Amino acid sequence: MLTGPALVHDAAEAACWRVDLSQVRALIDTVAAGGDWADWVAALLHGARIVDANTRSLDLVGAPSAREIILGQPVANFCPQESWNTVAALIVAVVTDPAHAARTQAVNSFMLRDSTLTVWGAPGAADTVWVQVDGELADDRSFWAVRASEQRYRRLIHHLPGALLQVDARPMGAVFYQLRAEGVTDIVAHLDARPGLVEQACAIVRVTDANGGAARLMGTSGVEELIGPVAFIFARAPETARNVVIAHFQGHRSHVELIKLETFDGRLLDVELTVTFPTPPERLDVTLLTFEDVTERLRTEAQLRQLQEEYARAARISTLGELASSIAHEVNQPLAAIAMNAETSLRWLSRDDPNLAKVEQLTRRVADSARHASEIVQRIRGMASRHVPERAPLDFNAVVEEALMFVCHDVETRAILLSVRLDIGVPPVLGDRVQLQQVVVNLLVNSLQALTGVEKGRIELATGPDDAGGVRFSIRDTGPGIAAEDLDRVFEGFFTTKAEGMGIGLAVCQSIIAAHGGAIAAANHEQGGACFHFSLPSIPA
Amino acid sequence: MSRLSVIAIVDDDEAVRDALFDLLQVEGLSARTFEGAAPFLAACGDFDCVITDVRMPEIDGIELQRRLRAGGSAMPVIYVTSCDEDVLRARALQGGATGWFTKPVDDEALLDTLKAVLPRC
Repeated sequence: MLTGPALVHDAAEAACWRVDLSQVRALIDTVAAGGDWADWVAALLHGARIVDANTRSLDLVGAPSAREIILGQPVANFCPQESWNTVAALIVAVVTDPAHAARTQAVNSFMLRDSTLTVWGAPGAADTVWVQVDGELADDRSFWAVRASEQRYRRLIHHLPGALLQVDARPMGAVFYQLRAEGVTDIVAHLDARPGLVEQACAIVRVTDANGGAARLMGTSGVEELIGPVAFIFARAPETARNVVIAHFQGHRSHVELIKLETFDGRLLDVELTVTFPTPPERLDVTLLTFEDVTERLRTEAQLRQLQEEYARAARISTLGELASSIAHEVNQPLAAIAMNAETSLRWLSRDDPNLAKVEQLTRRVADSARHASEIVQRIRGMASRHVPERAPLDFNAVVEEALMFVCHDVETRAILLSVRLDIGVPPVLGDRVQLQQVVVNLLVNSLQALTGVEKGRIELATGPDDAGGVRFSIRDTGPGIAAEDLDRVFEGFFTTKAEGMGIGLAVCQSIIAAHGGAIAAANHEQGGACFHFSLPSIPA
Repeated sequence: MSRLSVIAIVDDDEAVRDALFDLLQVEGLSARTFEGAAPFLAACGDFDCVITDVRMPEIDGIELQRRLRAGGSAMPVIYVTSCDEDVLRARALQGGATGWFTKPVDDEALLDTLKAVLPRC
């Protein structure tokens, strides 16, 4: 209820606000005294707050029944900019007039024709003025022309291929107004304490209109089935409902989230939901929800990821095949020790005077060797098994050390000199352990193969920080190097110079490194031999 | 008085080395272990037999035998290995190897071979 003298048109034609000037007193005093104040009109209208508004003024700015959303807002948010100078000048004149008498001036407005602006104050209320605007609506079009235009846009929106829902979220505006009045500022904490509010929101916020795309997406025979509480949208995504409430409370313009949507005909879709909240001077009863069905896209992406992983796994198994003899030797060692220790134990036990202390010692060794064999098998299984790539913080040097275990037997038995320089200062990386290990093993196997028939072959491997703060890995061999014409092709799929190679190892290395946000390159060393190096970004802060 | 036979065990894998040592010990045979061919050759011990792996870093078992023979030693060489490559086996036997056992080893057969080559006490 507006109060104040001479508010004559409250329920009739004139739009009227009561405005609080307490935050701009100093500005008004300065301007009235002829002082300088940069961009004072804008500053005044942004500092002057609407503390009450009549129904006509709400209708003018398109926010019927949403008084609580306008209240507390700056005049600048709702006053057409072409009227700013007039409004500001009248406010200063009225406030500095000891009688606070009303002053009226004609204004140009895009909304009203022949409009006049009246500002007045009241004795004893120095920080309050009333601002009233009067005039006829400036739109010359007839009611029917406007209706026809609305119909045109309605049809256009109805036939848009995208799914669009119009939602009236004003009931939540009223709830938020109340919460703020109670001093609630942290909506997340409030929802933690009162989770029922989300359920309440799903019940009181209603779909008021929808287009044909929405009906098709939701599997309804018509849009009218969608009219009602929004709860059905969030049936499979309660967390999203909470997130939307939070975004609304926090005054975000929009909220986007990937959700599971159960349609009326029972399909479960992956949908990208975009909620666009209205901001003044838009109609506050129109919150727009758009839905993009991304089910197929996600399915295709998942299939692509699966194919890539199958491809990577094929490469890993191919690499393991090349290491088969080395692996067989490595596994056979603990098994041989187990068998011998068991036989020896039996010999001690079969004596007339069994040496139980010795048997105990041998049994411990059997257990140790069995554990060792199990670790080897697990390591190999890790490389061979199907694997869903996952990102975790990794000590990259540890990845390299583990990869070295796959090839150490080959390196030793072939009398290859392997120099390993791991910089302990390298930052952790975010990556998939198996995939990165696969890259290092693959590069090591390539180097080993390049050294076939090379006397006193040498492999130099190093890790260190790169220029961008990430990790750099490099490996160099003293083999024949890469033919100049092949340098650009070594990372191509199915390109190989080996008689028995599939040509997928380096292609997979490149795709793995790229998927980790890094880059890999091949070159020939100036002193001979091939070198490969790649960089990986460190974990973002 | 005849001395006790001493057998050298050369293998880069500690678990295998120790297992062989214990197997000989239970049968009352004395042994000494080496983690590679180089320390064995450097030890210049008066061994009655050497049991060696084939694939080892730096000097492999075949090369160990070659160096022994080149140095005029007739010490019996018995291979205990995971390696099943015929070429290496043939080279070992051509070089005068006494036995070739693949891991996991048949302990009875190994001990029989040893007892056959060791001097009688």
